[in-house]
Amino acid sequence: MKKAIHYLLFLSVNINLFAATVVLQNPAVNQNAPLFSGIDSYGEQINLSDFKGQPVILEWTNHECPYVAKHYSENNMQAVQKMAQDEGIIWLSIVSSTPGDQGHINSVTANELTQSRNAYPSHVLLDESGEIGMQYGAKTTPHMYMIDSDGILRYKGAIDDVGRGMKFFSASLKDAMNYVALQIDDLKNANQLDISSTVPYGCSVKYNYD
Amino acid sequence: MKNILLASYILLSSFLLSNPVETGHAKASLISNLQSSTQESFFVGVRLEMQDGWHTYWENPGDSGSPFDAKWTTDDGVIVENVQWPTPVTIPYPPLMTYGYEGDVVFPFQVFRSQETNLQKISVDFNFLICADICIPETASLTLDLSSIAPSNLLDSQIDDLPSRILPTSSSIEGNNLLVEFQTNEIFSTAYLFPREGNIFAYPKTQLLKQIDNSRYVISIPLINPDLDSFSGILSLDGKGFQVKEQIASNSGISLWQAILFALIGGLILNLMPCVFPVISLKVLSFVSMGGDDHSKIRNHAWAFVGGVMSTFLSIATALIIIRSSGSMIGWGYQLQSPVVVGILTLIMLGIGLILLTNINIGTGLTSLGGNIQSKNDYSGSFFTGVLAVVVASPCTAPFMGAAVGYALLQPSFATLPIFLSLGLGFAGPYLVLAIKPDWIGSLPKPGAWMETLKQFFAFPMIATALWLMWVFMVQTSGNALIQLLILGLVLGLAIWMIATFQKRWKWIGLAATILLAIQIFNNLPSSSASQEDPNAQNWSPAIESNLQATNQAYLINFTAAWCITCQTNEKAALSRPGVQEYLSAQNILYIKADWTNRNEEIAEGLAKYNRSGIPLYIYWKPGMNESKILPAVLTEDLLIRNLK
Repeated sequence: MKKAIHYLLFLSVNINLFAATVVLQNPAVNQNAPLFSGIDSYGEQINLSDFKGQPVILEWTNHECPYVAKHYSENNMQAVQKMAQDEGIIWLSIVSSTPGDQGHINSVTANELTQSRNAYPSHVLLDESGEIGMQYGAKTTPHMYMIDSDGILRYKGAIDDVGRGMKFFSASLKDAMNYVALQIDDLKNANQLDISSTVPYGCSVKYNYD
Repeated sequence: MKNILLASYILLSSFLLSNPVETGHAKASLISNLQSSTQESFFVGVRLEMQDGWHTYWENPGDSGSPFDAKWTTDDGVIVENVQWPTPVTIPYPPLMTYGYEGDVVFPFQVFRSQETNLQKISVDFNFLICADICIPETASLTLDLSSIAPSNLLDSQIDDLPSRILPTSSSIEGNNLLVEFQTNEIFSTAYLFPREGNIFAYPKTQLLKQIDNSRYVISIPLINPDLDSFSGILSLDGKGFQVKEQIASNSGISLWQAILFALIGGLILNLMPCVFPVISLKVLSFVSMGGDDHSKIRNHAWAFVGGVMSTFLSIATALIIIRSSGSMIGWGYQLQSPVVVGILTLIMLGIGLILLTNINIGTGLTSLGGNIQSKNDYSGSFFTGVLAVVVASPCTAPFMGAAVGYALLQPSFATLPIFLSLGLGFAGPYLVLAIKPDWIGSLPKPGAWMETLKQFFAFPMIATALWLMWVFMVQTSGNALIQLLILGLVLGLAIWMIATFQKRWKWIGLAATILLAIQIFNNLPSSSASQEDPNAQNWSPAIESNLQATNQAYLINFTAAWCITCQTNEKAALSRPGVQEYLSAQNILYIKADWTNRNEEIAEGLAKYNRSGIPLYIYWKPGMNESKILPAVLTEDLLIRNLK
């Protein structure tokens, strides 16, 4: 009996600790990517583990963020998505904005955006609680992650090299060094990437946080 | 989004020359502290008055955001430098953390212009990201008419508040935290370190401040990546900013084992340095003269010499540890900062020179190099030669030694001792070999008449060393004091002659006269501290590096002293050569001298920033370099210029 109480006590303490650690995690590259599941814009449950055997790219997004807006208005993000689709790579666009904050969207808007922007995500995940975002330590929109077919995280960081500084808004994204596009082939080969971690740039992810 | 950009664009174009400008969520204006139309250097400031709840970013924006971008349009001959960032504040956006400015902020830019330029107006395209919960890129095109402006007091007060002073720190990594220790007499309740580098620090995590004693504190900054060998940033104490810039001792530089190895090699090379070589070579000659003697005698003499060297290094290390524990910054060669020590060394060198030259046999001849200190046929002569060799070696720094000794002095005491002992071991290395294998003496040349000639010749490097020390003495004191020292030298010469020529009684009278006169003169030393003036060099000051880097001015710093013979050699062989000086002025590299001839805490602290405690040290920086670069300790003209490219 005593043992059982101890066990329960232990369990509840553990649970409390879990609740208290609502901070950004920092997954390491070249290690297993954290597993997650979420609901997509068609109401389907999506698990990372469903895509075993296929590389996966995660894109944190917020359509009202000026950084994201420029990537889409110049057709830059869509071009990379298309490239990934042609290579058989799963592309998950994830929206972690909390309801009421900038960039929060419902499934209807999500699908309208995909259509109007001519985008090619495999799925758009609606992560209102920010759970997936915090698990991956997503800080900005855009913030990119590349996972290989064995489920190993190979890249985290910025989409390209023009983000730091205001020159972003006057630069041509076509001339940028796009870390994702440039390393898609290596990702398919499940290799370690030459550039595996960069400083992400953009707007803050609008988390639900008190 | 596009609408806002469009709207601000229309707004801007309709008031093309206006100042201030409403950008959407801020009022932007251009201000200046120009007071007269002939001023060659002044500041302009971009002032942003942001609406409540909106902010913009520091150069490292933290987890998100972006620093501004300013494009200046000026007349020819006018140069606007990079911004001098004001001290930022933390702008938490949980679970993220950003660094920037809220409310009313002024970004000062220094402007340089030549007299001939016609200063009319100055314009800027100022692009910045302004955020509340959401972010908007905004733009202000501002123009300031410089012919009719009133200097802004606001700008002057903002410049005064800039974080321009460097606060010396010493940092280490403990687990996932960077611990930065600093000393200040400021009174403050909160401290925050804003790091410049990205992807290394966990910005959102709390930085903890601990007070160690009255004026010393340590702040712990959580890291994401503990592989850190240098960092820089602004330390804010209740909003008052200080520049912090540091190499991390344990990770950068060298390890304890490397330091010990470097000390060993450095000690060995030290034997060849110009201040030591004559003393050492005489010791070698004395061993050669013993070539035929029995090996146990050679062994004992060698051991005695090694003992003298080792115990002197041990004493130096102990003295350094004790002095350091009292909080003083000191370094290798520091004893030569005292004119009394320099004076005594001058006399010792002069005395040795005279003894060698005049062929006067004092005591047991060649082995008696300890001067008058040693007595007859025992081994104390060899012991004192060992002591003397270390004493005269102190103004020299051999390659490898700088790094090792610098490391030793910045480490806890337990690491200081082994490094100094290793230095001693390297220095005494050749004799240690002789002590262990005395029969190897057979491989040295046979003793003969050549030794007498060589011995006499060695008088000249000794006297040359004495001359150099006299010059050091003069720089430290005055010409009059030098004359007094020279009179003392004369008396010393007389005393040596008397000791050699007359009976015992006269020896002691001569000796006593020398000592009495020495005390008399050293007591009356006038303490002037005229330092050498070099017309080509600027004087060093503690904040000079950060100031020059902020203004994109390339520079070469020469940490030197009159008593540092390696420094003097480098100056003659490289730094003062016309080719080098021409290159420096052609490339617009500012040449700066930090003269350490007399004791100077600020220079010692400056050296400590490079993990050094001794000189020479040469520092080079040009725009585009992240870190300033340490040049080799032994320079030639070619090597120097190659290193500046």
